[in-house]
Amino acid sequence: MTEDSQRNFRSVYYEKVGFRGVEEKKSLEILLKDDRLGILPPHHESHVQVMTYRKEQYSDVLHALKVIRFVSDATPQSEVYLYMHRLESGKLPRSPSFPLEPEDEVFLAIAKAMEEMVEDSVDCYWIMRCFVNQLNSKYRDTLPQLPKAFEQYLNLEDSRLLSHLKACCAVSTLPYELWFKKCFAGCLPESSLQRIWDKVVSGSCKILVFVAVEILLTFKIKVMALNSAEKITKFLENIPQDSSDAIVSKAIDLWHKHCGTPVHSA
Amino acid sequence: MAQQANIGELLSMLDSPLLSVRDDVTTVFKENLNSDRGPMLVNTLVDYYLETNSQPVLHILTTLQEPHDKMDTDVIVLTTGVLVLITMLPMIPQSGKQHLHDFFDIFGRLSSWCLKKPGHVTEVYLVHLHASVYALFHRLYGMYPCNFVSFLRSHYSMKENLETFEEVVKPMMEHVRIHPELVTGSKDHELDPRRWKRLETHDVVIECAKISLDPTEASYEDGYSVSHQISARFPHRSADVSASSYVDTQNSYGNATSTPYSTSRLTLNTPGQLPQTLSSPSTRLLAEPPQEERTDSARPCLHRQPHVPNDRGLEELHGGKGSVTLSDLPGFLGDLASEEDSIEKDKEEAAISKELSEITTADAEPLVPRGGFDSPFYRDSLPGCPRKTLSASSSTQGTSANPEPLNSSLDKSGPDTPKQAFTPIDLPCGGTGESPAGNRERQASLEASILTPSPCKIPPQRGVGFGSGQPPPYDHLFEVALPKTAHHFVSKKTEELLKKAKGSAEEDFTPSASPMEVLDRLIQQGADVHSKELNRLSLPSKSVDWTHFGGSPPSDEICTLRNQLLLLHNQLLYERFKRQQHALRNRRLLRKVIRASALEEHNAAMKDQLKLQEKDIQIWKISLQKEQARYNQLQEQRDTVVTQLHSQIRQLQHDREEFYNQSQELQTKLEDCRNMIAELRVELKKANSKVCHTELLLSQVSQKLSNSESVQQQMEFLNRQLLVLGEVNELYLEQLQNKHSDTTKEVEMMKAAYRKELEKNRSHVLQQNQRLDTCQKRILELESHLAKKDHLLLEQKKYLEDVKLQARGQLQAAESRYEAQKRITQVFELEILDLYGKLEKDGLLKKLEEQKPEAAEAAEERLDYCQDGCSDSVTGHNEEAPGRNGETKPSRPGGARGGGGGGGRGGGSSSELSTPEKPPNPRAGPFSSRWETVVGEPTSGTPTTVGSLPSSESFLGMKARELFRNKSESQCDEDGLTVGSLSETLKTELGKDSGVEARAPLTLDGPLLPAPKPDSVGQLRIMDYNEAQLEHS
Repeated sequence: MTEDSQRNFRSVYYEKVGFRGVEEKKSLEILLKDDRLGILPPHHESHVQVMTYRKEQYSDVLHALKVIRFVSDATPQSEVYLYMHRLESGKLPRSPSFPLEPEDEVFLAIAKAMEEMVEDSVDCYWIMRCFVNQLNSKYRDTLPQLPKAFEQYLNLEDSRLLSHLKACCAVSTLPYELWFKKCFAGCLPESSLQRIWDKVVSGSCKILVFVAVEILLTFKIKVMALNSAEKITKFLENIPQDSSDAIVSKAIDLWHKHCGTPVHSA
Repeated sequence: MAQQANIGELLSMLDSPLLSVRDDVTTVFKENLNSDRGPMLVNTLVDYYLETNSQPVLHILTTLQEPHDKMDTDVIVLTTGVLVLITMLPMIPQSGKQHLHDFFDIFGRLSSWCLKKPGHVTEVYLVHLHASVYALFHRLYGMYPCNFVSFLRSHYSMKENLETFEEVVKPMMEHVRIHPELVTGSKDHELDPRRWKRLETHDVVIECAKISLDPTEASYEDGYSVSHQISARFPHRSADVSASSYVDTQNSYGNATSTPYSTSRLTLNTPGQLPQTLSSPSTRLLAEPPQEERTDSARPCLHRQPHVPNDRGLEELHGGKGSVTLSDLPGFLGDLASEEDSIEKDKEEAAISKELSEITTADAEPLVPRGGFDSPFYRDSLPGCPRKTLSASSSTQGTSANPEPLNSSLDKSGPDTPKQAFTPIDLPCGGTGESPAGNRERQASLEASILTPSPCKIPPQRGVGFGSGQPPPYDHLFEVALPKTAHHFVSKKTEELLKKAKGSAEEDFTPSASPMEVLDRLIQQGADVHSKELNRLSLPSKSVDWTHFGGSPPSDEICTLRNQLLLLHNQLLYERFKRQQHALRNRRLLRKVIRASALEEHNAAMKDQLKLQEKDIQIWKISLQKEQARYNQLQEQRDTVVTQLHSQIRQLQHDREEFYNQSQELQTKLEDCRNMIAELRVELKKANSKVCHTELLLSQVSQKLSNSESVQQQMEFLNRQLLVLGEVNELYLEQLQNKHSDTTKEVEMMKAAYRKELEKNRSHVLQQNQRLDTCQKRILELESHLAKKDHLLLEQKKYLEDVKLQARGQLQAAESRYEAQKRITQVFELEILDLYGKLEKDGLLKKLEEQKPEAAEAAEERLDYCQDGCSDSVTGHNEEAPGRNGETKPSRPGGARGGGGGGGRGGGSSSELSTPEKPPNPRAGPFSSRWETVVGEPTSGTPTTVGSLPSSESFLGMKARELFRNKSESQCDEDGLTVGSLSETLKTELGKDSGVEARAPLTLDGPLLPAPKPDSVGQLRIMDYNEAQLEHS
């Protein structure tokens, strides 16, 4: 409800006319202020102090990593974020050459996407850190159930497509990791991703399911043309990016359709 | 012969229905024509065409090429051609337009020919040629004056042509007047098709004749004054012949000569018809009939063969060409006597037919005489002749062949005519009755003249015709039949004849004889010569066809004669054509005359009718007057009646009005009465009401009266009582004054005392009230104060909550920072330990080099192990840790640099193990590490304290000690446990069970609730207070 009251009062009209996502960038900022991710407290007076803490913490951790020569100036930012996160969670490997774990891959993908979205590295790190923490804590139980939900909604929307996928044995090999763990990072362009992640941050990870369903519906013809599970998976991992905005808009519609208003979906 | 037969077969094949066969044959013919230059094939084709009218043959002929259509210089051919051209020109004024310059060229050439006389042309022929050129000149000038004059101008402006002009053309021009077209028309206007559309062929011919000054050519119509003085005979002849050429079906001459057989196909509008149709049977006898020649190819054609056709149009002429002999002329002249008869009948017939039936067949008529005239073979109808082919239109001839039925039909129809004002029918019948006989006689004489041609015959014939100058015996009939036209005609004719008679005397004085005249003379002379020559010949038979009888006449002479005959025949044909045209015109004019007379008749009848009607009108007028008079009388009568009635009506109306007025008056009176009654009624009502009212008032007054009476009575009674009571009062006053006592003082005292007491009490009450008020005010004040306080408290509470949240946020941030710092230090420690390990390893290696190699190996092994443990510590492979610790513990004292040297991880765990209350537990690994991080952090700077009990300086340490001391008295009330206090938590958690299980909550709480700083504790206190306050309130 708080979100509703803070929404742009024109958004209702915009939506009627068909403009969606007018305020979604803004909503990200609102969310940051609202401390959905817990980066800044809701109190304005403490913002400065807390922000300095955050910055110091960031610089401290970065400094530490530099001191132990884990990162250098040449290290890609996403990797820096990864090592910082690892360090903060106490899971820093002994050396940078240590092989990456699947979790790290996820983190790197999200970090790369986030890097594009947020300019300031401190902000970026914090948003990303908290986002990942949220994924790992809040959605720990729901994320594994998403593939099932995906099948269910795909069946509702287009049972033929699902049967085709089943016939190709592609249901199990669909890029669930990409979709639900990386939250489409690297799959969709950042501008579209922002809108999805907004929903995720706001508390609905089900939107991921609908984005996946919508991707399949959008590329239905191509997917139907493909017969082998590998090809389907490969195609879905590298879908064309030009229609992503439309996909996201349709996915949000679908989400509204199946889960009602955003308030209920949370 | 064989070839001939072959060609015949091919020709028959040409008409085969199969298209392929036809095409093949056509190609064969064309090839033949290309290869064979002789005239044979062409002639055959022409014959075939004339016989069958076959279209393919016509097609072949029209596509003939060079060798077959070459120029000719033979005068006969040329003359014939020119004459044909002249004949045709009026027929095709429009289509001949495009060849106009060719015509002009022809004229130019031939005129020069007349002068230059190329080759061996004899003078005799040239006369003919000249005559024809002259005719051509007339035709061209008459039809296309502007174009022709411009041609003349251009052509004879050339020097080489000047002589021709002077010699030939200029004399010709003397015989024409200025054409009106030269003034009004133009070159283009002449060629305008609209100009020709209005004109028929004979109109064109007459148009041409109009501009001629030559009496032989000129027209007498429309008042053109032509000098007739030159020749008496020819104009006359031309006029009469033209008339007679139109002999109708009744024409005796036509009947006598016509046969059911006719070359109908050839007569139908083809140029070749003219010679054939005009050729008389006698000429056929002289020259072998062309049809016969065609069928009998064994006999070479006499006239055709020498002439290679120079013109396609002329080709068809060949058949009839050259078959005119001089003897024709007498024949024709001899017929002239009957011609008038025929004219007459023609007129009569026309008049009758017009009156009977509006001459609807007028258009078809011209065809009939043509066919009728056409009688070449009524005598020579040989078996085997292709007469069968000539049958289509002969049916008309069939009817025309028999004059009698038609005449009888006319006789029958005659009486039926409504207007029998004149009786021409009977008389012509008589005439026709005569004429066949006369015709027969004439025919006999004609045959005789043919067989024995003699010029002597001509004068008598002419004598019969016009020599006498008297009208025929039945001329008077005209006047009866057609009063006006006949008279006009006869008078005109006699006039002409008289003129001619005169003119013949002046004949020789003409300044320049026209070529026609010359030709005429030539013919005349030629006829004489011919007859003489023929007489001179000692032939057994006087037949013309002497060659058949083996005679050998001088060939040259015969040849020239024949040619001359041909030329003459041509001339004749031409003249006949002209005659035909004139006849056509004549017919039309006659028709007009007849129509005019009929109209006159009609007019007279109409006038009669008009008179009758006028009479009627007068009668009607008289009766009208009578009727009018009667009508006036009646009107007057009626008027009087009407006036009477009117007066009656007026009287009645007057009465009525009076009555009406009376009734009106009565009605008004009635109305007045009614009103009065109404008023009276109203007054009555009012009076009634007044009466009622007064009655009521009366009753009221009476009541009041009674009341006042009773009141008076009472008053009296009361007055009495008052008097009695006053007396009693006086009595009582006397009694009272008597009875006064001492009790008044005591009562007064008591009263005063009571009064004072009352006042006292009242002031007291007042005081009390005031107090109460103040108290109440105080209470209100206090209450408002309380509310304010409460509000303040609430605000403060909110503020506190806010601040708490803020602090918590900051705290969390700081905490996370602290956490990060801890991690950093951990990492640093790791790094340091790592580096230490490396250093130590280096040192050990050096020592071992000095000491025993086995010990060195063992130490190395241990160190490796230790390092492994260190590296694995983060991911937490802690199952092996106790074992390792156990192993490494003894070795650590051996290490020169104390507890820190054993590796970070080992040190941590060992310090934990060394505490008395925490026995070593394999499962406590992760927790112990946490514990270490929590507890060991403040002491991280001093490695010496590691492994010992928590120091007394540390807050946790103090709490821990407290804990162990108060183990027994750990049973505290859980209700007093506050959320934020760490000490109490520790107390309860540890106090409940000191076992291994108790560590779980503690360690879980550890990172969540780290050691609070003093100021934060203070804050918590405030919060507690706050909560306590809440509880109290």
